[in-house]
Amino acid sequence: MWIPIQINENSAEPLYHQIETQLRSLIISGGITEGTLLPSIREFAGDLKCSVITVRRVYQDLENEGLLRTRQGTGTFVSHVGEGAMEEYKLEAVIKALESAVDVGLSVQCSAEELTRIFTDIVKSKYNKQG
Amino acid sequence: MVQQAIELRNVSKKRRNRMIGPLNLNLPQGYITALVGQNGSGKSTLLHMLMQLSFPEVGEIRWFEEAHGKEMPLSLRQTIAHVPENSQSEENLWTAEEAAEFRRQWYPAWDQKYFEELLGKFEVPQGARLGKMSKGERRKFEIAAALAARPKLLLLDEPSSGLDPFAWKILIEALRKYMDETNATVLICTHIIEEVRRLADYIVLMHHGQLLGMAEKDSLFGSWNEVWVNAADEEELQELAAELPDALNFTWEPSGMVSFITQKFHQNEKRIQQLGVKVIKSRALELDEILSLWTQGHHPILIDQKRGD
Repeated sequence: MWIPIQINENSAEPLYHQIETQLRSLIISGGITEGTLLPSIREFAGDLKCSVITVRRVYQDLENEGLLRTRQGTGTFVSHVGEGAMEEYKLEAVIKALESAVDVGLSVQCSAEELTRIFTDIVKSKYNKQG
Repeated sequence: MVQQAIELRNVSKKRRNRMIGPLNLNLPQGYITALVGQNGSGKSTLLHMLMQLSFPEVGEIRWFEEAHGKEMPLSLRQTIAHVPENSQSEENLWTAEEAAEFRRQWYPAWDQKYFEELLGKFEVPQGARLGKMSKGERRKFEIAAALAARPKLLLLDEPSSGLDPFAWKILIEALRKYMDETNATVLICTHIIEEVRRLADYIVLMHHGQLLGMAEKDSLFGSWNEVWVNAADEEELQELAAELPDALNFTWEPSGMVSFITQKFHQNEKRIQQLGVKVIKSRALELDEILSLWTQGHHPILIDQKRGD
């Protein structure tokens, strides 16, 4: 099974963290559904061109968070994701995206008023389209 | 605790006109370690010593935590497979099938079905003498026979030399699958950086008979960056260089930008900006560039990526 994870080589974020964050969001957002068997550690490492040490770390962390579980001899599966986690994740993802948008605004010296107006306009145009 | 498949303690060996060692190295069991280095850096000699095809003059080698002076026991030898740089001429007159028949008497764990499956996948010509095969075909046989012995320790000396890209892919897949099933230990000498990317967990760098170090592959990720900045004049550039003592290769580009390479760029980025220098662009160096800097004596500061900070 191929898991859509994209590694950004120019990012300051460590490799291990990039993989973990993306895999976590794929699970919580339902991109990978409950009960899915994930690739073996060796296979996943090969796909991502990283070491098994990194993948093992990621699987262990997500297992500790309750998102994955490992069955001896069979492999690592996606576990049940609670409603609370889903809501929390949604909020977190949106906040993160907005923060980086605001950072861009700051870097081009956009004023707060200007930024708010742009934001409101975008929300209006997108949500009306969905209408 | 991680068990060591191989330990070298102060191992030295004289080779024609040069000295190899003293080498100190631990290979953890269950991982793929890539042994990288220029031609003649001593990689094959190291592999030969692990097979006891030659012996160190000084120091000690331990296999699975045990030393075996002048002769390792047969039971241990039967768990080690080696794909040498050049195939054994003794087998030249045999076909793949005949050579397998001979080899399986030495390897009690030999898996004939698996051997035939690999030959089929690699499309090794049947009934042809090994000595008459092309380099790539012979290589495929050697790899299949090494894996069919179901070794606990697999030593590969440039296994992909002569392989076409299709066979290369089959090799990568076969090694991965084998590791999944057996948790064996693999030491692979290679010049192919893509092989290191796809297979290795650890990288060991060898240069002029010395081991320059061992690193978990992913700890090299992002260790060096090339950075382009706008500098007003030579004076500002000097100031910047003083602030980044480990940075290298300061170059004025025709565009008026200055480029340089540096470690820990993301930690230093703020400091650079505080000097009033505008960072235009940066890129992480590729693995081959990092290894070549390392060979030149610029040991990478390994990124501790245990926690995301």
